[in-house]
Amino acid sequence: MISLPLRRGDWRLMGRTARLVLGVPAYALLGAVAAAVALTGFVLSQNLPFVSDVLAGPVPATALLELYPFVGISYGPVTGAVVVLVSLLVGVDIALVAYHVRERRLSAEGSGGSLIGVVLGTLGAGCAACGSAILAGVLSLFGAAGLVTLLPLDGLEFAILALAALVLSIHWLANGMRGGEIRGCPVELQK
Amino acid sequence: MTGDPLPASRTTRRAVLASGGALLGAGCLGGAGGGSGGSGGSGNGNDDGGGSGGGAPPLADHPVGQNLAAQPRLGPDPAEATGVIVAFEDPSCPRCATFESETVPKIRSKLVAPGDAAYVVRTVPLVYPWGEPAIQALEATYARDADAFWALLTHYFDEQDAFDPGNVLDRTATFLSAETSVDAAAVVGDAEDAAYDDAVQTDLAAAEAADVSGTPTVFLFRDGQYRTRVTGSVSFNLVQQSLGL
Repeated sequence: MISLPLRRGDWRLMGRTARLVLGVPAYALLGAVAAAVALTGFVLSQNLPFVSDVLAGPVPATALLELYPFVGISYGPVTGAVVVLVSLLVGVDIALVAYHVRERRLSAEGSGGSLIGVVLGTLGAGCAACGSAILAGVLSLFGAAGLVTLLPLDGLEFAILALAALVLSIHWLANGMRGGEIRGCPVELQK
Repeated sequence: MTGDPLPASRTTRRAVLASGGALLGAGCLGGAGGGSGGSGGSGNGNDDGGGSGGGAPPLADHPVGQNLAAQPRLGPDPAEATGVIVAFEDPSCPRCATFESETVPKIRSKLVAPGDAAYVVRTVPLVYPWGEPAIQALEATYARDADAFWALLTHYFDEQDAFDPGNVLDRTATFLSAETSVDAAAVVGDAEDAAYDDAVQTDLAAAEAADVSGTPTVFLFRDGQYRTRVTGSVSFNLVQQSLGL
């Protein structure tokens, strides 16, 4: 049976586990780098020709910053916030997976949600209804490019699904660490 | 009701988006080589639409430069302007509305007004169905009065949420009658009959040839040479920095 974070205690466990793991500087750095890479991937995947032109030289690299949420205007406030949140959760998730595997010699079971989250986050970045580069391409392969305009949130649904996938992944990882210790602190609080 | 204003033989939104799918596939396959600027048989559109550097075609030979003189334009002649901005837009596209409200006014005041750049709009129906009759009406309006075209385009973006396929031409007629001097009934009649469908198809063909799969997609040219392309409601800073103006 699939475990879902339905109880308040599940969310507290996720928060405590994330805090403890990110309290280790190396994992905090890893999480920050992973979040930055994820955000950069989400943003730049929408404009590969532009990235190519920056790399080729005619366009200054500083122009790339204008593609990021809350720097330029490519994202509305809601979409931008969701994309940033997905990126942050990817960072937390990667840090937890790394801790889980390295420190506790356990498998990466439960980390599949992070991959799903990255894929969905990439699909949901930008205005999918306006022709998000990745999503339009994927859907057109199935002759369903117009379907996204039927979505009430213009395709933001994919980014929201990414959030759900990442939360589930973090929940499963935290569950996997239940009963253990991180930096000498018990992962699970006394009830 | 407006009926179906477009003939069955036209290039469809699906066809344009499908070309975007081809771009995606080519981009992924060629990603390690530096994106779509690479050559190597991924198709004419990819090279023309996204390439840069020494192989980039000049504006006159670029797909988006075809029939440019016949397109709605602000500012100097593209053949003589230092910078040329060609934007593919859909009146029903939410990010185009943001681009029009946030970026285009600055393009007008800081680049077009001093004569540093020309701003050209090419309309393509990629997003919501009401964009198709709206574009027919825009072309019919432009054929009569360029100022009315710009006013109507702004009206579509300003009131975007109010339009649907059933009311777009009625609301267009109301706006044109109240705010412009063009014959609103004639414009709507032409839109319903797709009288200016050749102009619509010209833009669609340019979009397809340049691998435009989303809106707004903005192509930037400096001194007659392709500089870059960006999709999304790009900021004025990005446009200015990319053009070096």
